Amino acid sequence: MTAWNLRPIASALWRNRTGALLVAFQIAIGLAVLVNAVYIVKQRVEKISRPTGMDTANMIFVASAGFARDFDYDASWREDIATLRAIPGVQAASVISNIPLSGGGSSSGFQARPGETNPEKTVPGNTYLIDEQGVDALGITLSAGRAFEPQEILPPTPTFDAASQAIVTKAFAKSLFPDDPNPLGKTFFDGLSRPITIVGVIEHMHGAWVSWDKLDHVVLFPRIKTGPSAIYVVRAEPGRQDAVMREIEAKLGDSNPGRLMRWVRPMSYFIEQSYLDDRNMAIFLVSVTGVLLAVTALGIFGLATFNVSTRIRQIGTRRAVGARRMDIVRHFLVENWMVTTAGVVVGCAGALAVGYWLSVKYQLPRLDLYYLVGGVLAIWLIGLLAAWQPARRASAISPAVATRTV
Amino acid sequence: MLEMNGISKIYRTDLIETHALRNFSLKVGDGEFVAVTGPSGSGKTTFMNVAGLLESFDTGSYKLDGADVSRLSDEQRSRLRNEKIGFIFQSFNLIPDLDIYDNVDVPLRYRRLAAKDRDQRIKSALEVVGLSSRMHHMPSQLSGGQQQRAAIARALAGDPRFLLADEPTGNVDSLMARQVMDLLEQINEMGTTIIMVTHDPELARRAHRNVHIVDGQISDFRPYEPRAEIEAAAVAHGPAPMTMTPA
Repeated sequence: MTAWNLRPIASALWRNRTGALLVAFQIAIGLAVLVNAVYIVKQRVEKISRPTGMDTANMIFVASAGFARDFDYDASWREDIATLRAIPGVQAASVISNIPLSGGGSSSGFQARPGETNPEKTVPGNTYLIDEQGVDALGITLSAGRAFEPQEILPPTPTFDAASQAIVTKAFAKSLFPDDPNPLGKTFFDGLSRPITIVGVIEHMHGAWVSWDKLDHVVLFPRIKTGPSAIYVVRAEPGRQDAVMREIEAKLGDSNPGRLMRWVRPMSYFIEQSYLDDRNMAIFLVSVTGVLLAVTALGIFGLATFNVSTRIRQIGTRRAVGARRMDIVRHFLVENWMVTTAGVVVGCAGALAVGYWLSVKYQLPRLDLYYLVGGVLAIWLIGLLAAWQPARRASAISPAVATRTV
Repeated sequence: MLEMNGISKIYRTDLIETHALRNFSLKVGDGEFVAVTGPSGSGKTTFMNVAGLLESFDTGSYKLDGADVSRLSDEQRSRLRNEKIGFIFQSFNLIPDLDIYDNVDVPLRYRRLAAKDRDQRIKSALEVVGLSSRMHHMPSQLSGGQQQRAAIARALAGDPRFLLADEPTGNVDSLMARQVMDLLEQINEMGTTIIMVTHDPELARRAHRNVHIVDGQISDFRPYEPRAEIEAAAVAHGPAPMTMTPA
């Protein structure tokens, strides 16, 4: 390691440690923030990009509100659904009680056995009321069983009265019947111990609340939503979503003077709204981290530049006694690497401490050590890049500087 | 040892050209101790820079130790400086953040010598200059004379073929100056060729030969004087006895 001059560089660095320690401290903070921020951003991005189980790219939701004194809700939804299904480019349309991934919905507790009093054995499920085209309109995949038949669809009811049949997600079924791999045909019970038979199993589907840990616990019932407000889910053919939305507005907009067409929105609107906080947090953290890294790089650049400008005679002397240009570049890169590494060592401890604090305080997953390794490599790389230009400038100093007296 | 023929060196700016060396020719043989004198701005330092491969020149030829060094790459010049030339600077040019041991070690590390070899060379060089007991002192803890002796140790440690000394006594008092000169003479007697730039005629008289530069050209060769005559002249001027013990 003679060529690397580690000991004399470290020794000289220690004798002028104030500036170096400040930059090392800055690097430590940078690393601690970088690693945890990237980890959190990664979690947010993963959360946002989770598969929903639905054909979100082609789904449209329509909201209608009946307001006239003589408004006939039953006639209205029937007419609307018929109109929607007749629009060219529509694959399926259904009345639906709530909008998945919208942050609004209903949930109930269900049990595998009637009269179960143990709350730990009550499985929550996000419930939706749909009609016979609901499964198609949502674009969900059934891994077992079937969709609802038209004759199974129950009329609206002012009180929560589920149904005797349900289509449930695989995750919900597994929570309810952990030991049974095939829940099709099994019976479960609502809070009033009324039996419900599983006629279909959904491979995967997200419910209403994106931050709920039971997001994939979904239960679909064959019933029409209670009026006078209606929500319809429409699934357009691929690539025809915009055209279908315009057609819906044209066809339903003034078809019934007793009700108001509140809005026609693509599914992406609700997803964006639901994940707005996560997206903003990710953008904020990326911005803060970027600024912090830039400041850290500037700190390293500043220290290296200062070290070069205050050692011109010394560099000239080193060149005069035999240092090659590469030796000078290496000297400053090694010196900078030592400062960076000192910061990295402290920063690793800081990153782990911050990660632990976040996991305790905000129930975030523990920091993945791969991110720590990645952060260390990134900081090392940034340090080298930041010191490269000053080091190159130092190497260009003429050895004749050594003989100058002023 | 050193042979320059028709060397010229011109410094150019947007407005002016300065001819620092003009058709400069000089031969220095093995084991010589040559003093280079001249007024300020005469080209002494430029000569030193060219001779020490610190700067290139525009025309002419230069042979060092029999090899033409006119068109060497920067890396080759660095290697030659490291292996064949020892530098002694007026301002000592010790690295203030390294102790004396590490300062002497600097050129040896660039030569990639093994640690044990370096250690022997450093200790030997420090012993020659009488600084063995101060090897772990910082430069700022030494007097000017001691610092110059440390710089001489740095130049000696690489076992160079010749030493280039630029006003080696310029920043030390007269007593220390005599000690430094005594040391250089001792090194010369051990066989090392020395070229010393100085504007002090008293110091120049102690060299074998005096080369006087005016306007980038040699204006006068002082003939070789036997060492005995030089020493006789020095006694007449009352030089201090050579001291090799640490100050």
